[in-house]
Amino acid sequence: MTDVELPETPLLDELEKGPWPSFVKEIKRAAIEQEKAMKAGKKIKLPGAAKGLLKVLELAYKEKRTHWKHGGIVAVVGYGGGVIGRYCDLEDKVPEVWHFHTMRINMPSGWFYQTKALRAICDAWEKWGSGLTNFHGSTGDIILLGTRTEYLQPMANALAYLDKLYGSPAPFDIGGSGSDLRTPSACMGPALCEFACYDTLKACYEFTMRYQNELHRPMWPYKFKIKCSGCPNDCVAAKARSDFAIIGTWKDEIQIDQEAVKEYAKVIDIEKQVVKKCPTGAISWDGKELKIDNRECIRCMHCINVMPKALKPGKERGATILIGGKAPFVDGAIIGWVAIPFIPENELIEKCCEVLEAIWEWWDEEGKFRERVGELIWRKGMDEFLKVINQKADVRMVYAPRNNPFIFWRELNQ
Amino acid sequence: MVAQEVEKEPEETVEIKTDFGPPHYEIMLHPIIKKNYGKWKYHEVVRPGVIKRVAESGDVLYVVRFGSPRLLSVYTVRDICDIADKYSDGYLRFTSRHNVEFFLTDPDKIEPLIQEVQEKLGFPCGGTWDATKGEYGLSNIVHTQGWVHCHTPATDASGIVKSVMDELYDYFTDHKLPALCRISLACCANMCGAVHASDISMVGVHRKIPKIDDDAVRRTCEIPSTVAACPTGALKPDMKRKTVILDKDKCMYCGNCYTMCPGMPIFDPENDGVAVLVAGKISDARYPPQLSKVVVPWLPNNPPRWPEVVQTVKKILETWATHAEKYERIAEWIHRIGWERFFELTGLEFTEKLIDDYKRTPYIYASYRTSAAFRW
Amino acid sequence: MTEEVNKEELKQKVLEYLAKKPWQVRDLAKVLRVKKRELDKIVQELINEGKAAYWSSGSTTYVTTKDKLEEMEKKRSGT
Repeated sequence: MTDVELPETPLLDELEKGPWPSFVKEIKRAAIEQEKAMKAGKKIKLPGAAKGLLKVLELAYKEKRTHWKHGGIVAVVGYGGGVIGRYCDLEDKVPEVWHFHTMRINMPSGWFYQTKALRAICDAWEKWGSGLTNFHGSTGDIILLGTRTEYLQPMANALAYLDKLYGSPAPFDIGGSGSDLRTPSACMGPALCEFACYDTLKACYEFTMRYQNELHRPMWPYKFKIKCSGCPNDCVAAKARSDFAIIGTWKDEIQIDQEAVKEYAKVIDIEKQVVKKCPTGAISWDGKELKIDNRECIRCMHCINVMPKALKPGKERGATILIGGKAPFVDGAIIGWVAIPFIPENELIEKCCEVLEAIWEWWDEEGKFRERVGELIWRKGMDEFLKVINQKADVRMVYAPRNNPFIFWRELNQ
Repeated sequence: MVAQEVEKEPEETVEIKTDFGPPHYEIMLHPIIKKNYGKWKYHEVVRPGVIKRVAESGDVLYVVRFGSPRLLSVYTVRDICDIADKYSDGYLRFTSRHNVEFFLTDPDKIEPLIQEVQEKLGFPCGGTWDATKGEYGLSNIVHTQGWVHCHTPATDASGIVKSVMDELYDYFTDHKLPALCRISLACCANMCGAVHASDISMVGVHRKIPKIDDDAVRRTCEIPSTVAACPTGALKPDMKRKTVILDKDKCMYCGNCYTMCPGMPIFDPENDGVAVLVAGKISDARYPPQLSKVVVPWLPNNPPRWPEVVQTVKKILETWATHAEKYERIAEWIHRIGWERFFELTGLEFTEKLIDDYKRTPYIYASYRTSAAFRW
Repeated sequence: MTEEVNKEELKQKVLEYLAKKPWQVRDLAKVLRVKKRELDKIVQELINEGKAAYWSSGSTTYVTTKDKLEEMEKKRSGT
């Protein structure tokens, strides 16, 4: 029972049924509770936004088309990104959501939170926005969904003073959007996972802090993403979803606890589940001892995933850098290519910064509008890219050498 | 009469502050996590949704995972916080796939937590897998905004995801699959959701060029920037008529022009729809990362529940789950059985639309077969 | 001294161009035949002075004058 009247949404109501949690219920809840909060005397600047969204969305479902249009001004002083301007084409019918801009908020590394911080964000967004969020957006930011142009600055200020005004343990800053460094993200890494080969949370935080200007003031041909995964399992999909993927790995031997292997042997079929599944046949098991030929091991993680109590990455840890990962728009999808096969853990952050800065300078100068760095490498060639990042070619960068002899001998043809 | 001065909010009077960055992650870490940072020894799966993490110090943390709808009202986020305060010492985490995790030290509280989350939030416990046993659950679907917020979507995002997850619910709450299966959705081919390397993905596709309303273009658009927005050079200015001309053979239906110019909408209710891709993979385990491949070029938008899309995804998932060996992800399974068998077993139709002819991409011919070694 | 004058002149010119339409800084750099990095700085100054502003589609970003931006927003909402 509510005393708040909701618009009729017969199509959306269908999506309240079924066992999976419903986003429609969330929109309705925001509509009802925000209005109630206002009636109870709370300061609410944008009552009716969630209700407006229900109307627009129901119409979208009916007509099988979107009702949002174009972008807009980034109306937060000092920032060129982090705000996605969005307007509704039903201005006269649903004025509540004529403006429905999104704010992207830089999440803490690894998406760890204190409830005090989340509550503070909720209180501020209940006041200045639609009360709707995404935890999280595709790049990893906290998404605050829908507010008006004139509330963007106050909301940004609320976040900048979230500690003083709302009791958060720390303030929150705006994330990236447009042609800038997008908010870097990281897997849970050493915070919770024994596979982490470097400190992903620290690396992510360092990059974010060092490149605040690149994150907040878009000047590049297009977006640039950095993602940090602690091991080749790549839980943040860095290889496919970031231009610069930092994938934890190791160089020496896998650490084995033979007693723990024997324990596993009681519950699983090691021959079938581990030995036979090793892609290079590097493992043998005689029922007593597990042997790994580490020269054959390609560090794919399968055996470690199956027996985490018995096997661990080696001690000589670091990361591989893959470059160019992106979605298909415009010239086709790329899963990042190996740019640097191994950087030791203690040199990792500094080396990455050095390489990142070299890449940005080159791409900013040479890149065409909307050309991601992977596509620029396609256009310019890997040999030029390797010069830019000052790396020697390594056979680990390719599956196979080239199959044509049409080599550009530039040094002979100046 | 003096106009009454409007009382300013504190947010309107503070000094502008920029570039201070996100909160330091350390202050967001549960004390047990902080204490054992970088010193975790191993993990094991207690039940679907519950992972026991054991530190070298002997400390134990139970990480309990729940699926969320991604789109959350601040009121539900507050409820999540209440639960975290009660069970998890005021700390929690979100995963990269929109799941929420609580940290428990007392195993006796796991069941009450699951009960309370189910009652108050309706979020299912699950989304995990047990690699040791080779039994896998389905994780949440990563997805984009769709009709909720995007201006160039060819389909909705949340509605399809909800419909698919309703149908695949038991796979989330249980470990019934032979290997990892990542499902994702992007509401157009710009792919904000980057679904190009998932086991199964759904992508909204436009099939018709934008409709140019010359009058609206004249009234509302910046012609030079609209022309410049086209990534394939399909747009030319028409100086005389003060509008734009579109070369339909060059257009790839991305909608970037519509972003700049409301006078040339890309959406088309009858022709927009969803393509289905399979066999992408990102982890290095056993088999190298793979790009997803299109196996269904188009299915209609049929809101509110997209039955065609839901049934196609389910059919692919269940065919794979029935035939794959332990640890064999969809890419690895197809590598073993061949694409001939994939189409035969799933009943999907192979057509000329599935043969790559996007000439802009350098790897256009890489998928053409060069041998006479077939399965019949 | 002359450098200062030249810079002011260039800044004025940039502003004139920005008033015509929203730009990608790299394209404007080509038109004005200046280094992109140099233009970046000038554009940033203009933004800080409140004369220029960002316009974003979400995926890409343009720069134009404040007035042009307001004109665009007004024009668009007229559909």
